[in-house]
Amino acid sequence: MRPATAKWPKKSREAPHVAPTGFVRIMSKEAPLSIAERDFILEALREDVRLDGRGADQFRPLSITFGDEYGHVKLQLGKTSLIVRISAEVTKPREDRPFDGLFQINLELSAMGSPAWENGRSNDLEAYVTHVLDSVVRRSNALDTESLCILKGVSCWSIRADVHVLDYDGNLTDAACIAIMTGLQHFRRPDAVVRDGQVVVYGVEERVPVALNITHKPLSITFNSYNDGTTIILDATRKEEQASEGEIVIGINNGGDVCFMSKFSGSPVDAMEMVTKSTVALEKVKDINGQMEKAMQTDLAKRAKQGMADLSRAENDR
Amino acid sequence: MVGPTASLSTLSRADGSACYKCPTTGYDLLGAVNAPIELPARRDALKPEEATVEVFVKPGNTTAGVGERYVEGILRSVLTKVVLGRERGFPRRGVVITLAIVGGETVTRGDSYLTILPALLHTSLLALLSAAVPLSMTFSATLLGVNKSGEIIPDVSVTDAKSVSSLHVLAFTSKNHLLLNKSEGRFDFDTWEKVREHALSICRKNTIFNLDGDVAMGDGEESESQGFIRETVEDRLEKDYMWKIDSV
Amino acid sequence: MASAAAPPAAPNSLSLPPSQFARLQPHAYLLAHLSPPPAINQPSIRANGRAASQFRVTSANAGSLTHTNGSAVVRLGDTTAVCGVRAEILHTDDIASWSVSQSTNANKRRRLADSEKPTDESDDAEDEEDRAHVEDLNLLVPNISLSTGCAPGFIPSAPPSALAQSLSHQILSLLHTTRMVRAEDLRIWYQPPNLGPEELERHNEEEQMDVDAGQGLEEESKPAEIKAFWVLYIDIMLISLAGNPFDAAWAATLAALRDTKLPQAWWDIDNETIFCSDKVTESRKLSLRGLPIASSFCVFEADAAAGWRAVVIPDAEEQKALEKKGSQQKWILADPDGYEEGLSQERVCIVVDKEENGKGKTVVVKMEKHGGWTVDSDDLRQLVDVSASRWEEMKRILDQC
Repeated sequence: MRPATAKWPKKSREAPHVAPTGFVRIMSKEAPLSIAERDFILEALREDVRLDGRGADQFRPLSITFGDEYGHVKLQLGKTSLIVRISAEVTKPREDRPFDGLFQINLELSAMGSPAWENGRSNDLEAYVTHVLDSVVRRSNALDTESLCILKGVSCWSIRADVHVLDYDGNLTDAACIAIMTGLQHFRRPDAVVRDGQVVVYGVEERVPVALNITHKPLSITFNSYNDGTTIILDATRKEEQASEGEIVIGINNGGDVCFMSKFSGSPVDAMEMVTKSTVALEKVKDINGQMEKAMQTDLAKRAKQGMADLSRAENDR
Repeated sequence: MVGPTASLSTLSRADGSACYKCPTTGYDLLGAVNAPIELPARRDALKPEEATVEVFVKPGNTTAGVGERYVEGILRSVLTKVVLGRERGFPRRGVVITLAIVGGETVTRGDSYLTILPALLHTSLLALLSAAVPLSMTFSATLLGVNKSGEIIPDVSVTDAKSVSSLHVLAFTSKNHLLLNKSEGRFDFDTWEKVREHALSICRKNTIFNLDGDVAMGDGEESESQGFIRETVEDRLEKDYMWKIDSV
Repeated sequence: MASAAAPPAAPNSLSLPPSQFARLQPHAYLLAHLSPPPAINQPSIRANGRAASQFRVTSANAGSLTHTNGSAVVRLGDTTAVCGVRAEILHTDDIASWSVSQSTNANKRRRLADSEKPTDESDDAEDEEDRAHVEDLNLLVPNISLSTGCAPGFIPSAPPSALAQSLSHQILSLLHTTRMVRAEDLRIWYQPPNLGPEELERHNEEEQMDVDAGQGLEEESKPAEIKAFWVLYIDIMLISLAGNPFDAAWAATLAALRDTKLPQAWWDIDNETIFCSDKVTESRKLSLRGLPIASSFCVFEADAAAGWRAVVIPDAEEQKALEKKGSQQKWILADPDGYEEGLSQERVCIVVDKEENGKGKTVVVKMEKHGGWTVDSDDLRQLVDVSASRWEEMKRILDQC
């Protein structure tokens, strides 16, 4: 699942740059950075200065809000913004895994997020981000799929996370990862019981819907390297990503367990960086998980209040 | 009944965007427009003297299927007629409209798509306005149902739509032309004509370019949803020209 | 414009042959046919020789394919559609949602499924249940393929085009909204015998009986149970496409479904499986609801150059007045061929049915119009009448095949 190495525009230093002509952009490729812009970014980074004035180990402001439904998360990380929707339905489990439910992450980049993405055609970025999300969230078993089983070999829950990218300004992986993990924790599926061989699904108004069973909370943290690995920054914007020469992704949970680590293209970095950066990543994951928790508690408290109000109104009506 | 709510230019990367929420059907949509834009991969499909309109509908929690392709075709044919694709800068280029269903019920396989069609039409119109794409006129759409005893039901919800005997989506231009009609179910032509009259009176209230202010016509029962497209655009303009208005 | 040099005029040495003119100036060519100059006293006629509301010669042939449960070939001029219906068994055990009930409607579906008998009186209840079964369980699976070379531009090994996909959706959606196929026809029942040793002995013979009769009189105690469904895979192939694919595809679907025979099937308790009878005499036809017939139209506008100039589009009222004044601006062409489809954007599709097998009043099942703003209620009323007479014609053709 290696994306094409052409993702890193390292060679483009030699390649002649074509400045975007007029106000019409060429689709399917982000407008390349001009030489001056690239040099400016690199030069500034050499002096530990970023375009938006952040420190090297600093995330952009993160905002997490929720929609009306459970598991509807709107996330904003700087100018990158996306919506994640979690949905559940009853299906038949796979033949070879009768005790397991299904979980699927679906990411499709459309022209909404960036004019460079063409509708209905997958590109390298899509394949790459899907792969990382799959590894960090699904294959690390963050969502306990065994708890999704309803009746062995007959029915189980199928959980689906859909990522809609609204605005793309770099670091899609981390943003999507945070949003999916928030969504999974926020989502409530309808209660279902087995009654003499018949599965009964209870409506939301009859029985309190059930939260999903989350085993641990891993998040991906992406680092970008510059200037032959001397500068490594967190949460790069789109322009910083374009100027970057390599990328490290670390998937790590609150307990410090690393569940994903990758350094698959671009220029080499010192092996020790992997160790020191995982410490940085751990700190960030704890911080983000804290923010996530806070946003969720606020929302759930609001919902509880709303629910109480609805209940008392219903009683008044009676 | 609470009318739909919408706001313009909510996204930063796309040239124009709109979010639209319809409380009766519960749909929550986001629309983005990129125009004019080069489409190198579709070079053979581009028309030499006008713009190519492309529509992409992205369902909320399923993968797109045949139903999306169909509704995209309908939207494309409607919007191609309204977009002035021969204006300067548009020929041989694309007008790409992306619509994401971010809230509301899932439209399952084989469903008629009628319940969401007005919302999709309004969202794309608002997004086109936000992207300042030249249009020959604006339009407005509505969904009406007819129940078994022949009564016309406005504000059809998704559950109502399953029990009505026929379902109609009609769109009228700001000059009262019938731009789109899609009817399903069992009905006779006289019923349809009544539906048409009713739909026209609703759509007239939604249209925006009645500059002389005679939007308030008819019986006024849906006065909340009156001219909401106009209001949405006015709100945005007021926000954008705050600096100018304040200085005056 | 070039329309002044109308092709029907006597050819002189400088003029082009009509076939070349048709390619170079397609719009002017068709316009010249539809509005011939008054000098040459010719009727308005389409370039293909038909009158505006005339359909192409239609033929249908049912049962053309051997290895299907039902099939048909429909020709609409040069547009040809082949449809094959294949029925496959879907066990209820394999349906994920079958053993699931929503507690909100309190086992409603299950109860309905258990007790419902095919009676014609309870049409409403049956309708509702039909929807639940046929739509939710996806028992009808139409698929349209536009085969390689059916028209220029269809190349080998290309993914299904947007046109093919949207046609598939239209067929499926029309099958659902008309509720043509009854869910009862697709069910495979099992009647558990009354307990007792002699009953068990007998039940082998019993199962040979007709399924409907199987839930007979003496066995009220145990409700019959649905064990499986027939799923109908409706594959439509357009082997030649010369405009108006929907009418052809729908007519082929209709003819194939009328031709479809399902074998007698029953649940065998001993082998825990479903057996089908191979006797042709025991198979039965589907009892379809109604006969919806589709008619498509396209609208040809006289002033195609309007798009070039920034014209002020007249108000709907003004436009009507303008039309009344006489100058005909548009022609509604029935059953357009490929040439005409390429010259028009506005499309109308009307599906009508007639109650009581043609004696009752005309019912519109679907009416769709998009891609322009010239057609309004007056035109649509006429088109519904045209579609109604087309219904008669198609019924005759389908009854003969």
